[in-house]
Amino acid sequence: MATTYRRKPTKAEIRRQKMEELVMFPIDWLEERSGLIGGLKYFLFRNVPSDINWMQTLGSAALTAFLVQAITGVILAMYYVPSADINPRTGKPIAWESIVNITDHLTLGWLVRGMHRWGASVFIILMFLHMGRVFLFGAYKYPRELNWIIGVLILVNGMMEGFTGYLLPWDQTAYWATVVGINLNGTAPFLGPWLAQFLRGGQEISGETLTRFYSLHMLLIPGLIIGLITLHLYLVVRLGVTSPPWSKEAAGGEPEEEDGARLRPGLTRPVPRPSGASAMQAEPGGQE
Amino acid sequence: MAAIPKEKPSRIDQARAEFARYKADVKARGKPFYPYAMWHDTVMSFVVVCTIIGLAVIWKWSAWGPDHDPTHKGLLGPEVDPPADPGTTSFVPRPDWYFYFLFYLLRIFKWPESVFLGTVGVPTIALILLIGLPFLDRRLVRRPSARPVAMVAAVLTIVSMGVLTWKGATAKEALASEVKQSIPKWKADEHLPPAAFPGVELFASAGCTACHTYDGAGGSQLGAPDLTAIGSRNLGLQFQINHLKCPSCVNPGSPMPPFASLGDDRLKQLAIFLEASKGTH
Repeated sequence: MATTYRRKPTKAEIRRQKMEELVMFPIDWLEERSGLIGGLKYFLFRNVPSDINWMQTLGSAALTAFLVQAITGVILAMYYVPSADINPRTGKPIAWESIVNITDHLTLGWLVRGMHRWGASVFIILMFLHMGRVFLFGAYKYPRELNWIIGVLILVNGMMEGFTGYLLPWDQTAYWATVVGINLNGTAPFLGPWLAQFLRGGQEISGETLTRFYSLHMLLIPGLIIGLITLHLYLVVRLGVTSPPWSKEAAGGEPEEEDGARLRPGLTRPVPRPSGASAMQAEPGGQE
Repeated sequence: MAAIPKEKPSRIDQARAEFARYKADVKARGKPFYPYAMWHDTVMSFVVVCTIIGLAVIWKWSAWGPDHDPTHKGLLGPEVDPPADPGTTSFVPRPDWYFYFLFYLLRIFKWPESVFLGTVGVPTIALILLIGLPFLDRRLVRRPSARPVAMVAAVLTIVSMGVLTWKGATAKEALASEVKQSIPKWKADEHLPPAAFPGVELFASAGCTACHTYDGAGGSQLGAPDLTAIGSRNLGLQFQINHLKCPSCVNPGSPMPPFASLGDDRLKQLAIFLEASKGTH
């Protein structure tokens, strides 16, 4: 980037150029070694259809709810104690006491736990609404079938988070709902009894069940969800978001009687209808 | 075989062509994600976070009851219920609201013939249909007005899930205090011998009627059978005790929780009562 000057640059210009180089250096360094900056630029400045509407924010809203769960969950894990043992001084289970401590004594603990508790419901509702939007738009059709399946898996894992998290306060509601929930798992053929045994960590629900659910709730299932969300977003960026199908200027338009080429509004030349698979080969996604 | 006529391309070719048109359209007349779509997303995310904080605030500051009792019920439920106690079984199991539909589904199917349908059958089929949706509905058309079958199926699904959730949320629960008032009626209707009297008290207070019905009282949950005439099956005291200790050992797949924590004496009292319940005559 050699800049040519007609006259000798002033001191201010030299300083400015040095500052720019200083700022650009780490960015260029990272880009040269990872390509991440290019990826971020593509993510931010990629085109989306001009007619997208508010319903299409539900996916990112669900992602926000998940991030709230992740952040509040990390904070709760700092104070929550997953032990069903009885505290000899108070005669109460330690896990239950730590929940009361977080809610009533820790500074803003009630807010963190309250957000985690109600954020779970909001997350589930937003996932259902997002799924309804995708269904209404017919957005699960070619080539987005795989992303629909990933979305359903995220929903199932989200509900598993709800099931495992429900036990952690170790109160009566949690305990008896989980007793019945695990017994219901046990009625499934073949794997059912094995799964019930695994979840309980024995014949009856005990402290071992609690630590097991805690581990699943904060390590295994969130890990799965983060992986699935990453895949989900990758496919969203790669395949693009759909236009509302009723839109007059929907990108791609409705399939209609094909005459090989069509003149579309806003385009000066007809879009040739590519033949067969070559259409896909020309679109590797990713970089423009 | 004659060549496939060119004017009728296969469905996958049509789909590919449509997607190529979509890509070209977005490139030619789309708008950049930043700032347009991202602005909408940011506003929506802000609303979401505010809603969550709002719920947390309402929950906490309405539940903070007299004497700072964490089990005081506010507008959105208590902070926490009493500590888990495997010994008291009088607690009605209640899952989080998004499992209500599943819980209510189990009331529809009765133990033991069809409860499997409620616990595993219907949910599994529903999940398979949901995952398989893109392969069941392979038409390319996306406009809702051109997809009447899909729209009717969606409305039916939403309505049935909504009804099940609502029914699950408002399901009447058998409270131990109310059930105890039926004890004299039971003794008269069933002609219970005095030996069964300790058992009948226990039956009413240990939470059995949270799931089982008995002589018209109690709640029918999780497909639990009616016990009005359980004694007429003459299963024997030992069977009843073993079953109460570990239902799924005797009756594989039973969703009933074990009641071993009641202790041998009380289990025997319960068994005597159950065996004495020959039905109302």
